[in-house]
Amino acid sequence: MKIICLVKYVPNVEDIKYDYEENVLIRDNVKLILNPDDAAAVAYSLKAKEVNPDLSIEVLTMGPKSVRPFVEDLLRRNVNKATIISDPAFAGSDTYATSKILASYLKEKEYDCILTGSKSLDGDTAHVPAQLGELLSLNQMSNIISIDQDSFNEKSAIIEVESGDKTLTYRMSFPAILSFRKETGYELPYIKYENMSLDVSDKLNFISNEELQLDEDMIGLKGSLTRVANTYNKNFKEKNKIVVKNDDQGIDYVYSFLKKKGFV
Amino acid sequence: MSVIEKEQEVVENLVDLLSEEQVNTNNEDLYEASVDRYKKYAFARNALDVPQPVAIVYPNSSDEVSKLLQFCNEERINVIPRSGDTSTEGGLENWKDITVIIDAENLNRIVDIDTYNMQATVQAGVPLEELEDELREKGFTTGHSPQSKPVAKMGGLVATRSIGQLSTLYGGIEDMVIGLECVFPDGHISKIKNVPRRAGGPDIRHIAIGNEGTLCYITEVTVKIFKHYPENNKFYGYLTEDIETGIKVLREVMVNGYRPSVARAYSEEDAKQHFYHFSKDKCVLILMAEGPENIVEATGEAVEEAVDKFSDGIIEEVDSELIENWFNNLNWSQQDIEDEYEGMKENDSHAGFTTEISADWGTIPIIYNNVMERIKNEFPRAHELTLLGGHSSHSYINGTNLYFVYNYEINCAPEDELRVYHHPIHKIIVEETLKHGGSMCHHHGIGKYRSQWTKEEHGSAYYMLEKLKEVFDPNGIMNYGSIYPKEDGIKKYIKKEE
Repeated sequence: MKIICLVKYVPNVEDIKYDYEENVLIRDNVKLILNPDDAAAVAYSLKAKEVNPDLSIEVLTMGPKSVRPFVEDLLRRNVNKATIISDPAFAGSDTYATSKILASYLKEKEYDCILTGSKSLDGDTAHVPAQLGELLSLNQMSNIISIDQDSFNEKSAIIEVESGDKTLTYRMSFPAILSFRKETGYELPYIKYENMSLDVSDKLNFISNEELQLDEDMIGLKGSLTRVANTYNKNFKEKNKIVVKNDDQGIDYVYSFLKKKGFV
Repeated sequence: MSVIEKEQEVVENLVDLLSEEQVNTNNEDLYEASVDRYKKYAFARNALDVPQPVAIVYPNSSDEVSKLLQFCNEERINVIPRSGDTSTEGGLENWKDITVIIDAENLNRIVDIDTYNMQATVQAGVPLEELEDELREKGFTTGHSPQSKPVAKMGGLVATRSIGQLSTLYGGIEDMVIGLECVFPDGHISKIKNVPRRAGGPDIRHIAIGNEGTLCYITEVTVKIFKHYPENNKFYGYLTEDIETGIKVLREVMVNGYRPSVARAYSEEDAKQHFYHFSKDKCVLILMAEGPENIVEATGEAVEEAVDKFSDGIIEEVDSELIENWFNNLNWSQQDIEDEYEGMKENDSHAGFTTEISADWGTIPIIYNNVMERIKNEFPRAHELTLLGGHSSHSYINGTNLYFVYNYEINCAPEDELRVYHHPIHKIIVEETLKHGGSMCHHHGIGKYRSQWTKEEHGSAYYMLEKLKEVFDPNGIMNYGSIYPKEDGIKKYIKKEE
């Protein structure tokens, strides 16, 4: 059985700072992390591989070459192969152009299913999995919170999907795109000590537009149909700073504040 | 005799020597006593790799400490002296199958507070905060305020050459200890008398101060006390272009003969985690003037003059109330420690690992820059660092310390965390420091995890340290693996080659 895990490395939103004077987001020195929903998809795949050692996992990501050490760590966790699609020509691609780039790679590949996240921390649009489904003519399901391990095979899987306040159970026929939520509780395994510095370069491929041969009008800013009428940062007005002392009065103030906001 | 039989025999003997209530064999307590804060992550994840001690004993007097040490010496049983349990370099970690922890919990009496002669005598197990609270009521202070103040105890502070956050004014614990009582492995009790000064041969206090439980057990200490003038405190804060500017200001103040109690320069990364509410991603410089009013005034003026002199690197002044607020919430409590453990159970990350070094003013920036460069280029897991920075927080006439601070995500098993993440960083810091003539251990002690470099740290003077061990602990029963390098322990517990 072959799984392709589609993942994205996103800026850790906790690191993003805001320049109140210039009214812009500062992304310098922001650390990349594996998008939590996508991490759940890889974690599930590795769990399935434990049960079925013949299962093959390929991780596919699109992004800057700087994601390499993070991708290498997935290979050190027993992922069989990884592909990084990276080319300056892809910069500025919207979700539609991104989906086209990914689809052009995937359409040539053989797989039983594609596992990915439901949405990414940075964009939060949840477009890509559904668009890929459309471009590859595959069924796609978002918000998966669990997969029945025993039912997971080359033909189908029984999945649980969160839908509002209900949990629905489906059997999905493969090939299909299954999009996880981080709430699945599937966690990436640790890298074994002896594998921490393992050379995995022979399992890692870089793909650029030289290989994909996509028309420049289809990719990057040119190929992005999304037209941005205007961009503005949410107006984070600097709040009045109130410093209270660590005394009864200060504690009362903080408590009343939290109560007013509904936290306590 | 099997190890289990030997353990049982040791426990029975300990009960005979003391009483049943004074011998603790509770499994949870023994698990906790196997390590100190060095292995806090593995501890929280229940993944410790060291043996548990056989028992924790609580002597009620110096005579009982003497009896215990004599027994352990005769039976060649490893002893780990403990008083406070806030050690961070593996000083309290156990590397032997049969080990007894001698805990100073019952040596908890404040013997005397003598405000005329400005000294206080306490037993080893008195919490620093308890003594400080007593003194504050009378208008005095110990002047010793480590971050661990709410949980640290006097014996442990002296045994590890502790330093407090006000050290630039009051000195380290070694400057505060007037006299002490300690017990050697052969049972001999030595009492060093309390005098202002003497020229009676080498200063033998320093055999006990900082011995980290490897030579003797400290049972009682007498420390200086100081008048306390909190109403005069003045706080100064600045954002600086770089940490070098902060260090230059600290040097200027110090070499001109002033002694602020707090004198700190932070890198921007480290500043962000402490002062996120005002640091604006810049470096931070903090000073505090303390003492009689005229001294505070003069110190404050000296701070302002020094800041003026290096104004090119100063971005702006920080509201002093923010600095005062930070100062009033500096220390961690038992609750903070417990919260930290809970956090480590839930998250695969380690926040706040530190390695502290010292060097002269000219060398400190070289070490800082070399370490930063090497970690970024040589540490194979650099992409998982979530913080790498540092600060200087204790200054002297000829130099200062540097606290390297690093946080990281953990992608290996809890038992491998230290050798995957901390040890390679730690090694770079120690190597760069020793290469440039600094000290690899400003105030956390050597413990077990820097013992690999003890000989290099002391160079030809290691001879003196070695002779002390041979004379006072010829059977090597005191805190096996601490300070004095033990190849088998290093291989097994640090390098994990066995």
